[in-house]
Amino acid sequence: MDVSDSVLDHLRHVAALPDLSGTRYELESEIGRGGMGVVYAARDRQLDRRVALKVLDSALAGEAQLIARLEHPAIVPIYETGELPDGRAFYAMKLVAGARLDHYLAGSPSLGERLRVIRRVGEALAFAHTRGTIHRDLKPQNVMVGEFGEVYVMDWGVAAIAGTPAFRAPEASLDQRSDIYALGALLEFMLIAPGSSAAPPALRAIAAKAMSADPAARYPVAAALLADIDRFQEGRAVEAWSEPLWHRLRRFGSHNAVLLWLLAAYAIVKFALFFLRTR
Amino acid sequence: MGGPHGQFPSTQLSLLEAATAGLPNDALERVIALYWKPVYRFIRIKFRKDNEDAKDLTQSFFTTALERDFFVRFDPAKASFRTYLRMAVERFAANQHAAANRQKRGGEVTFEPVEEQAVTTESPEQAFEREWQRQLFALAIEDLRVLCEESGKQIQFQIFDAYDLAGGERPSYAELAARHGIAETSVTNYLAWARRTLRGFVNDRLRGVTSGERELREEMRRLWM
Repeated sequence: MDVSDSVLDHLRHVAALPDLSGTRYELESEIGRGGMGVVYAARDRQLDRRVALKVLDSALAGEAQLIARLEHPAIVPIYETGELPDGRAFYAMKLVAGARLDHYLAGSPSLGERLRVIRRVGEALAFAHTRGTIHRDLKPQNVMVGEFGEVYVMDWGVAAIAGTPAFRAPEASLDQRSDIYALGALLEFMLIAPGSSAAPPALRAIAAKAMSADPAARYPVAAALLADIDRFQEGRAVEAWSEPLWHRLRRFGSHNAVLLWLLAAYAIVKFALFFLRTR
Repeated sequence: MGGPHGQFPSTQLSLLEAATAGLPNDALERVIALYWKPVYRFIRIKFRKDNEDAKDLTQSFFTTALERDFFVRFDPAKASFRTYLRMAVERFAANQHAAANRQKRGGEVTFEPVEEQAVTTESPEQAFEREWQRQLFALAIEDLRVLCEESGKQIQFQIFDAYDLAGGERPSYAELAARHGIAETSVTNYLAWARRTLRGFVNDRLRGVTSGERELREEMRRLWM
């Protein structure tokens, strides 16, 4: 039989839609797709709430179990896993109302706010790494910022994913340090996002250290990168950057402003007294 | 359909399984069923051949493939079977094209056939891919039709035919329900079944023309996502 272009397109679309008969879910619409699966908005008829439903290639059914084990405030909770009548695996998860990180950055959030987001992402990574899970494909499209400011890292640990070029570490075999690389790339992406002011060199150095070509030169764990960001925010020297003297003095000045003002006032008074005495 | 865990039961061996089992002709038949039209269309566009010349070249290509160790030389580590076949067609047709031109230059002056092809904006490679998808679905639809006839599910196929294969405006579910004297929910269920089964047949056909699980997964991803 002859299949016209329009029928072909229609069939490719409808035959790929998940058949949810026999499940508690009702399909609403597609909300995203990646290398390994498609995410749909669906309605849970039993609990009368909307959920996100990710349908996977059956060979990747383990992904759901893997994520379900990661209970963390910055990792989307999994409600249920299952199998469609055609053998494909699916899992239902919280439908996050918010914006993807790349869209969120279009609103030009402050540096402090951007660092808060990267901290949440780093904490989720650190937690997953302690559970022996690596993300493999961390990028702005896989981070959601919810309407209450909550941050979620999505699309965890699919073995077949090779990573997204701009965020992928150069090594062939990915491990925790490859996630550190991606976290550094994400930090850099957030620092140079349109609308942001010039990034402080210490933060750029933190991103560069995390993105070292040699995995051994990166931060050993995500917590070490976060600790360096802490140091920056507290006005201390960061590990990633040996700052020039003038910069160290300036940082010392801004960090100890009160002390310097007191010293200056003391010196002025001292000088004034000395001047009055010698008259 | 059914099978373990509701998965679609596979009826087709992969190309490498077929070669191992000593069934290259069977494998070739599957390849020809799926690839004849894409190869024909690719030759027509790429080498600007008329209908008859393109048919002859397509026929020659598959005959030559049958005679030579076409499947044995396929290395799944280097490319998908689809790419391997397209490149083989390109080489074969280019050689034939060049030989034909040499013959013309050495003999009497002949006139090129009037180009009768419709002007197309797609590349030969895109046309090949599109035709391959079209043929894949055409074969799977035929598989579905035969299954429905053999298992007394003619009504399911009629509804699928009237809705999903409609060339123009699709009837509503209510119209289909009234036409067949069934509930509207049955229309929904029949369509869901037909689509699910069609998907299974498409994947099964794909399995028959890929080298194994890895290539199959990649082809499925390309097709469905």
